[in-house]
Amino acid sequence: MKQITHRRNYLGAGGWVWAGNYQMERYLYLLHRVTGLGILLFGLIHLTMTTFFRIQGQDIWEATMTVLSNPWFKFGEYLVAVAFVYHASNGLRLILQELGFVLGKPTPPIYPYKDALRKKRPWTIAMVAVIVILAGVFLFDFTIGGW
Amino acid sequence: MTEVSPEQVTFKIQRYNPEGGSPPHLQEFTVPASKGMTVLDGLIYIKENLDSTLAFRTSCRMAICGSCGMLINNYPHLACHTQIEELKSNTLTIKSLPNMPIIKDLVADLTPLFDNHKLVKPYIIRQDSGEMENPTAEFTQPPQELNTFLQFAYCIKCGICVSACPTSASDELFLGPQALAQCYRYCADGRDEGQLERFPVVDTDHGAWRCHLAGACSEACPKGLDPALAIQLLKRQLASQAFGLRKKQAPSTVASPPTETEPKVPFPEFTAKSSK
Amino acid sequence: MWRTRLHFLFLFAGVAIAVLLGIHMVTLHLDAILGFFGVNAADPTGWLSMIGRASQGVWASLYIALLAFVLYHALYGLRGVILEVTTSVRTERVITRVFIGVGILAFIWGSYVPVALLSS
Repeated sequence: MKQITHRRNYLGAGGWVWAGNYQMERYLYLLHRVTGLGILLFGLIHLTMTTFFRIQGQDIWEATMTVLSNPWFKFGEYLVAVAFVYHASNGLRLILQELGFVLGKPTPPIYPYKDALRKKRPWTIAMVAVIVILAGVFLFDFTIGGW
Repeated sequence: MTEVSPEQVTFKIQRYNPEGGSPPHLQEFTVPASKGMTVLDGLIYIKENLDSTLAFRTSCRMAICGSCGMLINNYPHLACHTQIEELKSNTLTIKSLPNMPIIKDLVADLTPLFDNHKLVKPYIIRQDSGEMENPTAEFTQPPQELNTFLQFAYCIKCGICVSACPTSASDELFLGPQALAQCYRYCADGRDEGQLERFPVVDTDHGAWRCHLAGACSEACPKGLDPALAIQLLKRQLASQAFGLRKKQAPSTVASPPTETEPKVPFPEFTAKSSK
Repeated sequence: MWRTRLHFLFLFAGVAIAVLLGIHMVTLHLDAILGFFGVNAADPTGWLSMIGRASQGVWASLYIALLAFVLYHALYGLRGVILEVTTSVRTERVITRVFIGVGILAFIWGSYVPVALLSS
């Protein structure tokens, strides 16, 4: 009998983004990944700026600062600040939950099932609310201070 | 009694024939659906009346065997456990479970799931091999101890959690939420002494630390197992072991043989005499 | 169990970054908010302000510590993301070694600058 090969059916990295109508925590994970990579990219540019350009003296530094005071760069800076606040807050939530500290004890599964993350969702929503408030506060700072 | 006419529901089913050579495609069927009908009932109707070549797995039809896991309207469900009415749609798109190879139509290859499960040694391991090979009696386990892992023992190995997991979507070498949850189920079992054998299996580049708490596995699990909780508790055990904080608990002992007792009330004589 | 220890260093670095980068963000980029608390920082990204900080040991240590934690956390995290899309063990080994090399080089270069500016 001919050996039949089974068809690959992995979602791939696209499966990180969308795999169905899942709930909040899956998208918090995705945003955590996106903000992490975004901050990494910014960090590379920032490290170059604060080393190569800083060590070359006042003229180069001030020329760089003038280029970076462009509104598009300021907006990018705002996005990085919000990304940092999100990544740090969600990261702290993940550290607490990943070590099982705040998820509670295993309970017998009685229908309708409520998993541990779902039970702690009010805290997760509170964290998101804090992030949104801080994003608003930063926007205030960047608009009155930076432009 | 008025006759309730069945509503016509469109089933868009992923068809794939491994011997045909063409890629998976959707085929539409119209099924008369009535109240209380499950997706599995619809599939059986199609197989009996419309297209007998449709392939899918089914067995118990009561959400205990784990055979009928499928992607229904973009979410993994057990077909027997999902009423057509609860999907609130006249069109159902049914595909094979993602992150598992497709054998034919809606039949997924669960071999990778079982292989990962075997890797975590899902059985009681004791140092006393004599007792393991030739058991003399059962191991004792108080109910409070059972409750620390009983929730995770209800796994029916349907593979829905692996389909939901974003890490499993891209990482073929990831053990998966099912294997990791079962690893914790055995490591937390008081009768087991095999933690040090299992930890090297999950403390790898594609083991427990590749879980990022997306929680999709627990959300999708049809038995309310909460594999995400099991994996985080496993991480706590790994951390305790790595930093030398793990409390060495003596494993359960073998139950002592029952003691002889006197019957409290003497057994009554038979009142009915046998006829000669 | 060394992978668990490496992961814990990653988590600890995350917490350290939250603190150190928080200080950095508030003093450098959120000066308008600091103004509400009565702290008037005059243009923290300007040359004079920057050189003033660069000559203080506290700031230089903060930056070097922040750099170390950021490099470890970022490269470990990126390595994790890449490991989730590769299946070849050889690729994983190459990625790990390249990241260790890049991390060490970036740290040496990145900490040379604050030390050099400290003495200027």
